[in-house]
Amino acid sequence: MQDHSELDEFFAHRPPAPEAVAEVRRLGIVVSGSLSKGLGVKLDRGAVVEGMAVGRYVVVHGQTGRRFFSIITDVALDATNPALEKTPPDTSDPFLSQVYQGTATFGRLEVSPMLVLDPSTGSEPEAGEPKPVKTVPAHFSPVYEATEEDVNRVFGAGDERHFYVGNPLDMENVRVHLNLERLVERSSGVFGKSGTGKTFLTRTLLAGIVKQDTAVNLVFDMHNEYGWESQAEGRHRVKGLRQLFPGKVSVMTLDPESSRRRGSKVDFEVHIGYDQIEPEDVDMLSNLMSLTDVQINALYFLRRRLGKAWIEKLLAEGEAGEEGGPSELDMLLEDGQLHGGTLGAIQRKLGLFRRFDFLRPRVHEDVVGKIMDYLDRGLHVILEFGRYGSTLEAYILVANYLTRRIHGRYVQRMEAALGSRTDEPKPLVITIEEAHKFLDPAIARQTIFGTIARELRKYNVTLLIVDQRPSGIDEEVMSQIGTRVTALLDNEADIRAVFTGVSGAGELRQVLARLDTQQQALILGHAVPMPVVVQTRTYGPELYAEVGHVEGEALQDRLTRNVNLLQGDQEFEGFE
Amino acid sequence: MEIQVGRIIRSSTTRFAVGCRVLRPEVPVFGSLVKVPVLDDEVYGLIYDVCMEDDPYVRQIAVQEEVRAEHIEDQRRNRQVPIEVGVLVVGYRRGGTIVHRLPPQPPTSLDVLYTCTGEGLVEFTRRFDYFRLVLDNRDLPADELLAANLRYAAEARSDGQAFLVDAGRELARLLNMDLVRLDGLLRRLRDWA
Ligand SMILES: Nc1ncnc2c1ncn2[C@@H]1O[C@H](COP(=O)(O)OP(=O)(O)OP(=O)(O)O)[C@@H](O)[C@H]1O
Ligand SMILES: [Mg+2]
Repeated sequence: MQDHSELDEFFAHRPPAPEAVAEVRRLGIVVSGSLSKGLGVKLDRGAVVEGMAVGRYVVVHGQTGRRFFSIITDVALDATNPALEKTPPDTSDPFLSQVYQGTATFGRLEVSPMLVLDPSTGSEPEAGEPKPVKTVPAHFSPVYEATEEDVNRVFGAGDERHFYVGNPLDMENVRVHLNLERLVERSSGVFGKSGTGKTFLTRTLLAGIVKQDTAVNLVFDMHNEYGWESQAEGRHRVKGLRQLFPGKVSVMTLDPESSRRRGSKVDFEVHIGYDQIEPEDVDMLSNLMSLTDVQINALYFLRRRLGKAWIEKLLAEGEAGEEGGPSELDMLLEDGQLHGGTLGAIQRKLGLFRRFDFLRPRVHEDVVGKIMDYLDRGLHVILEFGRYGSTLEAYILVANYLTRRIHGRYVQRMEAALGSRTDEPKPLVITIEEAHKFLDPAIARQTIFGTIARELRKYNVTLLIVDQRPSGIDEEVMSQIGTRVTALLDNEADIRAVFTGVSGAGELRQVLARLDTQQQALILGHAVPMPVVVQTRTYGPELYAEVGHVEGEALQDRLTRNVNLLQGDQEFEGFE
Repeated sequence: MEIQVGRIIRSSTTRFAVGCRVLRPEVPVFGSLVKVPVLDDEVYGLIYDVCMEDDPYVRQIAVQEEVRAEHIEDQRRNRQVPIEVGVLVVGYRRGGTIVHRLPPQPPTSLDVLYTCTGEGLVEFTRRFDYFRLVLDNRDLPADELLAANLRYAAEARSDGQAFLVDAGRELARLLNMDLVRLDGLLRRLRDWA
């Protein structure tokens, strides 16, 4: 008998069975549905209707071992007999209500299958990759709440391609990762009302791209929020990309004074010469400067006649009477090739350029060449606008000026590379704020930004557009935006715009209008396997640390430790 | 404890009749489960009716002005026409298993009918497939019959309340197209629950 009790003791100490640890809650069974309209699920008696929520993930265990990863799109009450709605039973009686609940009356879910997880073989990771849904689970397949493991399988693990951007709602321990390679493969957008966190989100995405070296960035930093420190709500400051990635991110400025005031470390000042500006660059401003078609044609004409110095000449002429003989302009007027009113209007409107100190009559350095040089070396470039950020004309002029030329060089280089990967320039992502000003339907077809969005990644250049009014963006451009990250939008037209070209967006629309006013976003498109609503990750110390930034104090610690180690005989830890 | 109810006097696949001599407190009872051994099997049924027919003596006595108590007593003890008990067949047992279906053969005349209570009743009512066999008889007070039967089955259990809820749910499934009937039946159950 001695043996017996020893055995008992041995078994008593066994760890709990695995199924006891990870118990998955069964919700109900599939009773109807179709691939196009989603599945109807009859809730089990034990499942509490009020405990269900739209947007929650569930997994249907199909007959063939496939798991259908799905999302709850509707919660409803149902009855086996419609007459029950007209003559409800006496539910004040506990017995009757116990009997009726879950039998004659029951809860019902509409779920939309999004992805199929094949039975995992464990050994090959590819076998576990989620696939698009092409069929539906059989009748009466059981439906379970999705476990963290299921969700993790869908939204991937953080690796060299995937970057953690937030957590699904109600699932703090699960991370949603964005496939950055796919993000930069096509143009993408960050949308949301003012103050919803677009800039913070964009900075997070850019930090991911820099950290994982997925592409090089060129950021037109309208409000000086990306390079150096900027203020978050509640007066605390957040670090800019240059602080997180010293040596990998360089900052250029149009307004050195502003940069200096903010303590932003700047690599160089950007100047553009009048003689470098082409009529095409001014053309972009036609709406803002209310240039008529006649005036625009006149610009091209003037450029042909006056040569490179055309703007200088126009502006000089504009400045009160000049001594000397009749100028070239006078001659054009006399010939009747130019109308005096048109010329006057042009001169008046271009007079605006005098207020832009970064424009100079002649400039010797080649800004475009310099930026290309940085980009080629894999350095990310942030262009701070300083006080010019509040002048839309300046923002559009410069962004357009630089992008046109840089894109031009990319096209040349790509064509020269003839498809040989090694010679191709690094993929470039250009970030612009207030994107609808560049992409509104009236101009999107002619502007460089419209071109880039439409040509996809053909020339290795894509856009990251940040905008609070997506309805102002040309529809065709919008439909080319591969990944859309959208914070709260409450304008009907804006919501519709975000879903341009997305099929079956009805339910998602509801989701979008119900987001919190900050730090929540719907991500859909190319870079995620399925649309997902996330609590966006906080841009702060944790993220700094993850991308390899070492804070002052921590750095000091590390230093002391390394010094100690150097004095001892242990291995040197290093700073990276 | 099995009590003998009486002997079969008429029989068919779906119903049979049993004759018994006297009315005792515990037999025969409307709604109670009963069984008849038939060869190796046992046929189960529910008592749906207890009927006393008249005979010439009863008629005579009934119209006498003065009836002597001994005559009444004698007439009740030594009745010429037996008390007739109607039984609705609800299943049978073959080998060890109870089946809620009609038996291949009915019991034979003069087979003996026993009550089935306690363990036997609990075992038979573990599943609810026999509900159909009861509810389909629109010429009988089927709802009343089933409700009475379920009441005894609940009393035979320690968790009678939960048993009634489960039975109620099965009824809700079967009768979901006839809510008035369902409601009536459930109310009958509730009054005991
Ligand atoms: N991921 C985040 N981490 C930390 N704070 C955040 C985050 N998202 C938003 N916030 C908070 O919300 C505030 C507004 O965010 P942000 O400036 O990015 O909004 P926006 O959409 O760019 O607004 P605007 O349209 O005015 O430019 C920030 O100052 C910050 O306090
Ligand atoms: Mg912003």
